[in-house]
Amino acid sequence: MIREAFILPLSFLTVALLGGLRIADRVVLLPPPLFSLVLGFLLLGLLVRCGALAPERLMNGTRSPLQNAGGAVILLTAFAAAAQAFNAAIPESGLPRLLFSVFLFVLLVNTSAAAPDRVRVLRSMLVIFGSAFILKFIVLAALSDPAGGWLKRTLLAMLEGLTLGTLSQEPYRPATGYVAFAALALFLGSLTLLPARQTTALTRTS
Amino acid sequence: MREPLLRTLGLAVAAAYALFIVWLYVRQPQTVAEMTGAMSASIGAYHVDELAFADGLRLFRANQFEASRLAFDRADRAHQDARTQFYIAYSYYREGWGRVYNDDVLFQRGLEAIDRAIAAAPNGRIAVEDADLQLKSGDELKAELQAGIRRDASDFNPLKVFRQRK
Repeated sequence: MIREAFILPLSFLTVALLGGLRIADRVVLLPPPLFSLVLGFLLLGLLVRCGALAPERLMNGTRSPLQNAGGAVILLTAFAAAAQAFNAAIPESGLPRLLFSVFLFVLLVNTSAAAPDRVRVLRSMLVIFGSAFILKFIVLAALSDPAGGWLKRTLLAMLEGLTLGTLSQEPYRPATGYVAFAALALFLGSLTLLPARQTTALTRTS
Repeated sequence: MREPLLRTLGLAVAAAYALFIVWLYVRQPQTVAEMTGAMSASIGAYHVDELAFADGLRLFRANQFEASRLAFDRADRAHQDARTQFYIAYSYYREGWGRVYNDDVLFQRGLEAIDRAIAAAPNGRIAVEDADLQLKSGDELKAELQAGIRRDASDFNPLKVFRQRK
């Protein structure tokens, strides 16, 4: 009950707050772009489909209005957190933004079509968000670093002949990456706490 | 009996937290001082440091604009006082004004300050009674700053060297 009333809504809201935080010369809070809303909606659909989220356990006719209101809050905050988690993971501009968006969309649709179970979907989310985080906050951040570094030099050598004009992003302070990491970790942790679909155990009787 | 109470409390906390997040995204505060100042301004509890404001005004009238802005910033740390932001914008105008050309960077900062002043003023209306100023309202100052940045044929009028700073 504490989980449903406090832990889940507050952790999802924290993800919604931190997912848009960007720290550069000034602090900016970016609201989720429309495509992040679409991806967030797809992600919730996927969680319902695989049983990681059972909306019927949050809202149904046998629950009191107060319990149903609490369930609705969890669904709404989970959607907001999902949208902001994608907002944190997707680059802000240029070709990487387009590629990440299409890639994540195809991944979500593909995972949904494969109809995996709860554990596999949660593992898949860990891989998707982890990969996106590494690409955005380590690889792209290194390429966009005006001072440069060994990683930038290595990547430039690997991408010989490719112009960086469409790849480079606005450089953020390192704190942005740490905040995004915390937000994504909190989001993934909160997903595991969602009420899952209860399966009836089948036992063989002889 | 305990469960409904906890659930109600949970809903209230979640609603307050969600409202706070929406407020943060709308106001985009840059510092903790701005955040707390904006919150106290929203309930009418925000006050500027009058001593620092008086210092800023004295320096402004002595044409020490950079120093005046430091004092005004000290007076209005949260950038929530329309009058102080108006004077900051005016200091950018006077410092950036030139007989031949204006300093676009300073005028742009002046525009940002007057926008903050208009946002903080009740109904967006600012009127300052100060005999030292020729532009006595936020609208006049904003229009003057915008005209200073704009590029048009009047920029090449040689008679503009005879204009006066307001």
